[in-house]
Formats: sequence, C-alpha cells, structure tokens
Amino acid sequence: MAKKLVKYAVVTIICLLLAYNSVYFKKLSDVNAANKSFNATEYAQNYLDQKLIPSIGKMPSTDTLLNLIKTNPSATFDKFSHAMDIGNIRYFITKGSGIITGLDEADVYITTPAHQNIRIATEYVFGNALRDAPGIININDFTNSGDLNNVSSELNKIIRSKVLPPFKSSVKKGDQIEYAGAFELNRQHLNTDSVEVIPFYLKIKR
Amino acid sequence: MDLANYRTSLVKFQSLIALVLLCIVLSIVSDKFLTVDNTWNVMRQISVNICISVGMTLVILIAGIDLSVGSVLALCGAITAGLLKNGIPIQSSNLYIGFTLLGAILVGLIVGSLLGLFNGWTITRFKVPPFVATLAMLTIARGLTMLWTKGFPISNLGDSFDYIGTGWFLGIPLPVWISGIVVIIAVVITKKTVLGRYIYAIGGNESASKLSGININKVKLTVYAIAGLLAAIGGILVTSRLDSAQPNAGISYELDSIAAVVIGGTSLSGGRGTIMGTVLGAVIIGVLNNGLVLMNVSPFWQQVVKGAVILLAVMIDKANSKNE
Repeated sequence: MAKKLVKYAVVTIICLLLAYNSVYFKKLSDVNAANKSFNATEYAQNYLDQKLIPSIGKMPSTDTLLNLIKTNPSATFDKFSHAMDIGNIRYFITKGSGIITGLDEADVYITTPAHQNIRIATEYVFGNALRDAPGIININDFTNSGDLNNVSSELNKIIRSKVLPPFKSSVKKGDQIEYAGAFELNRQHLNTDSVEVIPFYLKIKR
Repeated sequence: MDLANYRTSLVKFQSLIALVLLCIVLSIVSDKFLTVDNTWNVMRQISVNICISVGMTLVILIAGIDLSVGSVLALCGAITAGLLKNGIPIQSSNLYIGFTLLGAILVGLIVGSLLGLFNGWTITRFKVPPFVATLAMLTIARGLTMLWTKGFPISNLGDSFDYIGTGWFLGIPLPVWISGIVVIIAVVITKKTVLGRYIYAIGGNESASKLSGININKVKLTVYAIAGLLAAIGGILVTSRLDSAQPNAGISYELDSIAAVVIGGTSLSGGRGTIMGTVLGAVIIGVLNNGLVLMNVSPFWQQVVKGAVILLAVMIDKANSKNE
C-alpha cells in the first residue's frame, strides 16, 4: 500500500512539474499590445513617400537602361536589376519622360527622347516590380512571407487608387509626361520591344 | 551451406540485399548519391517515415491497419505549432494561456495518443474493422486540422522549435537521433517485454491468444495509442523541419509507412515481422525516392516505380509464406 502511495506521489509530482514548465498565464490585453501586427498599408505608404519618391533623381533613365541592356545585357542586369525570387524575371527601377503617342484601356504609349517606344501601365498594376526593383527591402526584415507579399499588394493598391486616377482623367495624346516606375525583363528570353513600366510617379507637363 | 539454409538466409536478409543493390546501382548512376551531404539528407527525410512506420508495424503485427497516421501527423503538428505561436486567448476573461516549447510538444503528443486510443476504442468496443475505423479517423483528423489552422499554414515557430527538425547533435541530425531512439524502444518492446510477446501472439492467432488469457482489447488499445503517439512525433518533426505547420501535411504518408512495413517483411496478416525490417523498408523507400529525384525521373514515374516496388515486395512475401 505504501509502495503504491509513493508511486502515485512521484507520478503526481512529475505531472505537476511538467505542467508548471508547460504553460504560463498573461493578460490578453498585454499580449495583444506586445504583438501589434504588421501594418502593410502603412509600410507601403512610407516606402513610397520616404524611399521611392525622394530617390527619383538618382534613378537611371529608361533610355540609358535600354541602351545598356542592348549593348551589354549581362553587366546591366547584374548592376541595375533586382528580384527577391529565384528565376529569370528581374526588375529595373527607372525614370524618364516622353510624348504620349497613344492610349488604350490598359496603357499609355510614349516615345522617349531616344525614340524608344514604351508603355506605362494605367490599369493593371499587379506583381512585385515596385517592391523588388530598387533592391532596398531586406527579406530578412519580415517574419513571414505573407507580410512581404502584402507590401506589394498594398503598394499596387496605392498606385491604383492615388497615382493613376488623376493622371488618367487628364492625360491625352500629344502630352509630354515625366514618370518614374519599374519594369520587368526576362533575363533568359530578353525582349526590350514591349517594355511596360509600372509607375509610382506621373506628371503631365503642359 | 546446403540449399535450404542458403535460401533461408536469402529470405532473412532480402531487404538488406535489396538496399545494398539499390545503393550500388544509384551510386553508379549518380555521382551525387554517395556523398555525405546526401546521405544525411536522406536520413533526415526518412526519420519521419521511420517514426510512423514503427507504429504501423506494431499495428500490422496485431493484424490491424492504421490509415489515419498521415492526418494525425498533420493535426498534432498543427496543434503544437498553433499552441506555441498563438497560445489560447480567452477573450471573456482577458486571459492568455501561453505554451512553452515543452508544453506545446506535450499537448501534441497527448493528442496523438488520444486519437490512436480512440481508433483502438472503436475497433475493440464496437468491432469496427480497423480499415474503416482508421479511414474515418483519417477524414476526421484532416477536417480538424483544417478547422484548427483555418486552412492556412502556421509559420515562424522560433529557433528552439526549428532545432528539433533541422539541428545537429554530435554530428548527426537531431531527427535521426529521435527516430533512432524510437526504433530502439520499439525493438525492446517487441523483443524483451510481455507486451511484445502479446502483440505477436495476437497477430499470429487472436482466438488462441484470447483463450490463453491475454487481454486482447487492452493490447490493441495500447498498440493503437502508440501508433498515434508516433504519428504525433512524426508531425512535430515535419512541422519543425519546415518551420511551418501545413494543413495538407502528411497526405499519403500512411501509404509510405505501410509500404515500409511490407517491404521490411512484415506480414499484412499479422504475427510476423520485425522493427528492424521496417527500418530497412523505410530506408529503401527513402533511398529510392532520393535516387529517382537525382536521376531526374518525372514525379509521375516515381509513383509508378514506388507502386511496383511495393507490389513486388508483397508478391515475394506471399511466395515466402507459401514456401514456409
């Protein structure tokens, strides 16, 4: 009988020790305050206002980039393009100007000073071009891939809701514009004839 | 050595011979196969299958089957990850119950054991065929996993938890240590304990075992609980290795584990087989998977090859049984 009691006592003590080292209690309000979740909208707006727009002056022009890509693609990709994914799709951050030669539902078509024909996306703004092209976001600053993806999503949302509407409402053929944005190219299957810039800055010069 | 002895030895070591032949062929075909990195990679990958296959061996030794291990694995991994990351918030009393690494793992293991026990209970109490009972649990546990995770992965579980699946100890990956300990305990249970003898007895002849006074229901309950516990260990290893509890984790793992058991020479009709045979079976499947990937074989063909190997193993098992 005594042996049995000792056995139960030992088992109970082990269970209590395990339980004591297994759980802890806190006020839910304290935990919620400490775990303030990542605000992708705020991050994207700050990224646009504090990182992208102030650095427009330092960005390479589209004419320069396209000429470099045609003459020395490998070095140009290495020096100017960025991407967070593994693969051949690479993103370039750029600025430029041009004359509007045409408009449709999805793009405006411009001719640059070096007579390159490019498109500026005005309807379908998706993907990671604006997030990845400058190469200034560090993937390790994010605790999960969802937050990182939400940055792109929110950034594109800001472009669609704040940057494009005032531009689309007043732009017309023959206007001269200034832009800054990002475009993607496939390193393996290079095609510079249909470059489409996802803009984050658009200005009509009249 | 006469022909009969030679044949007996061949049958006894058939899995080992198959593994050695497979390794020789793969090391000739791919120069990446026989490297230290790849060997540890294969060992790390098969650790999970070894854990669940050991449980499956015990179940099959009592002439049962457990189709729920993949789903139980997913649920236990998700519960461990969920508790570790989110704890249990109780809004009404402004209380947060947090779980330490030990606590989250313990709950995962307890849930796995209870689900296994439930399988055993439905099989022994209501005489539901093991195939049907565990098939039902397969669906139930998968549904519970989806409910618990809301269909999304639970990621970023912390370095301490990740260490279980990705860390090294004394130059050997931690999952290999864990599966090794599981194997040693299972070998001791089957070879050196009363429970082990009862398991073989029940699988060999259930009626005779009952007549000789063995509490069959108790043994079956224990075996199914052990299978659930080992599936939970597998779930924790998978979750830790990926640093993420995936709601779809463990799909078709039950088939891989049954394949390991069968290839390892355990009879599907129960009563005959060994833990070490199952380990060899799991290693053969792991090496085969790895070899097919290294040889750039299409994933579709990989399934065909794996199926053919399982079929061949069962045919050899049947032929051996006939000759005994």
